[in-house]
Amino acid sequence: MNRLSIAALAFSLVVSGAARADSVIILNSDEASYSILSRSARAEVVRLPVGREPHHLILSPDGKEVLIGSTATNELLALDIKTGERTRVVKDILDPYHLGFSPDGKWFVTAAYRLDHVDIYHADGFRLAGRIFIDGLPSHMAFDTESKTVYVTLQQSGRVAAFDLATQTLKWNMPVGNAPAGIVMLPDDKRLLVALTGEDRIVTVDPKDGAIKGSLQTGKGAHNFFPKGDGRHYFLSNRVEGLVTLIDTKDEPKVVASVRIPGGPDCMDITPDGRELWVTQRFLRRVAIVDIETMKVVGSVPVGKSPHGVFMMKSTATVTAGAGLPVRAASTAGDRK
Amino acid sequence: MRDLIDLWVGVQAWLFETLVSPVLFHFGLMAWYEPGYSAVEFVMLGVVQIAVIAIGMRFFERRWPLEKPGPDDGLIMVDRVYTVLNKLGIIPLAIFILTYPLVQEVELAVRSWGYMPPRLERLLPWIGDNALVSFLVYFVLYDFAAYWLHRGQHAFGWWWALHSLHHSQRRMTVWTDDRNHVLDDLLITLALVLFSQFVGVQPGEYVVILMVGRLIESWSHANVDMSFGWLGERLLVGPRFHRLHHALSTPTERHIQDHNFAPVFPIWDILFGTAIYDEKIRPTGVDDAAVDADNGRGWIVQQATVFGRFLRALMPRFRRRASVP
Repeated sequence: MNRLSIAALAFSLVVSGAARADSVIILNSDEASYSILSRSARAEVVRLPVGREPHHLILSPDGKEVLIGSTATNELLALDIKTGERTRVVKDILDPYHLGFSPDGKWFVTAAYRLDHVDIYHADGFRLAGRIFIDGLPSHMAFDTESKTVYVTLQQSGRVAAFDLATQTLKWNMPVGNAPAGIVMLPDDKRLLVALTGEDRIVTVDPKDGAIKGSLQTGKGAHNFFPKGDGRHYFLSNRVEGLVTLIDTKDEPKVVASVRIPGGPDCMDITPDGRELWVTQRFLRRVAIVDIETMKVVGSVPVGKSPHGVFMMKSTATVTAGAGLPVRAASTAGDRK
Repeated sequence: MRDLIDLWVGVQAWLFETLVSPVLFHFGLMAWYEPGYSAVEFVMLGVVQIAVIAIGMRFFERRWPLEKPGPDDGLIMVDRVYTVLNKLGIIPLAIFILTYPLVQEVELAVRSWGYMPPRLERLLPWIGDNALVSFLVYFVLYDFAAYWLHRGQHAFGWWWALHSLHHSQRRMTVWTDDRNHVLDDLLITLALVLFSQFVGVQPGEYVVILMVGRLIESWSHANVDMSFGWLGERLLVGPRFHRLHHALSTPTERHIQDHNFAPVFPIWDILFGTAIYDEKIRPTGVDDAAVDADNGRGWIVQQATVFGRFLRALMPRFRRRASVP
């Protein structure tokens, strides 16, 4: 795409004030900005300032806002899902590194990676219900389908902790391996998959007690999951290996496909038509586009410094939680299908 | 421009994924994964800075030298060692390892209290909407802090004991800027990093500010007979302005080094009454035989000697002779 057409695209976006269903939001974590990309043009159309050190973002339960965690300014910045414009700032959310809404939409949880605590809020009004201090760099999270428990990886201590949402108390805290990061609850609600960034594998963990039930070699620096959307397959980024693998979880998890993505691949999202996987390449300041059917890289879009979270605008229609939409913990937890 | 960025990050990613990442992974140091990638960029920027100094700035020194070649030329060699150690990140890495836990603790304590520094964008939202304006504003603020720290280096006896190493060079050149005691570097770095966090400088911006600022400071030490012109000399610190700060004190100009402190923007000296603009050419160095003896010593001996000087200045019972400019 030449510069003129990109400029025309940017102009039309700015004039209409709209980030439409065609848009993709990328958080440039090292330069305090977010990029809005055009999915069809595969180009960045505008880059806007946002807080400090934005890492993850999430759709609100009512589907009207995208919430960006600005970790170093202790706040959430809300973007209108239809226009991409900033609508409000939610203050006093300490170190919102990773974010998640429980499937029933009642609880909002943050993993304060640098401040070593997990905060559980009443999602309605972001009222803090409980703050649990826990050593070990709380990193990523997943929920059970009944919205009773949140599971948080502790990257430095190599453990996963389970917290009761209603009472904000620790249920268990178990070792799982070196530097656990991404975590996802499978739809059967009986298996947690945990990516070990300090190793080359993922482990299957029993959500009841944290016991390890299995292990699968994937690639060095196994880091983050994203559901393919069929309730069975999950993409996994392997940061050190520079690899994205597709894992079939029907029985024992197994790798069924992989694609090389250089530059420390991290967060992922899928286009609404289910054909493309977009992957942030932290080190290359780019987003790679993978054709899911062939598992080949078909495009690459330049963005800002250290791109981390990615969010695909899927629809301009108002949606509600529980209406069959994916319920995510900031690009990591699974589709509920 | 994008091609240049792609080339830069391509080299950075290749170096990191080939040399650094496997080591971090092997030794279970994945908590240093992101900082490790930034460190590679720091070293690459250092190579660029050394190239700019050695090729670009040295061209001007050779073409328009202020001080002609002389018997003291050999004194410059140790300054090259300082520059390489600093620019390639060896000294900064040691400082980073020492200061990082402290800086982290301070930041985490402040944030866990729920206190958020009054970032500029909150007061002036338009700053955040323009990357260049944001960079310039933070650069000016950073330089303001650096100006006052520099005044502190001259005001306190113990700090001057360290900083006097920087001033002891009789042959001032583009290599002189990095001639500092590691403890002095550590204190300055710690103060500036904390200040930058307090006002909200972005990590990415901080690196650029550091690089641009240090290049300007290298140039301000150049042995050249050049001026930015009347207006330019009041906008940016140049060799003529900064050479006065390094001037040897004389009975008639005993406190000459207490002027022209600004690292990058002379506005601070103008505002706070410490600016002197004149055309007079003065010899550089210090009027203190013990400090002047730094000349001719190697890096290790200089570091050890100056540390002893610092201890004696700090603790009177060890003091044989304290020297304040």
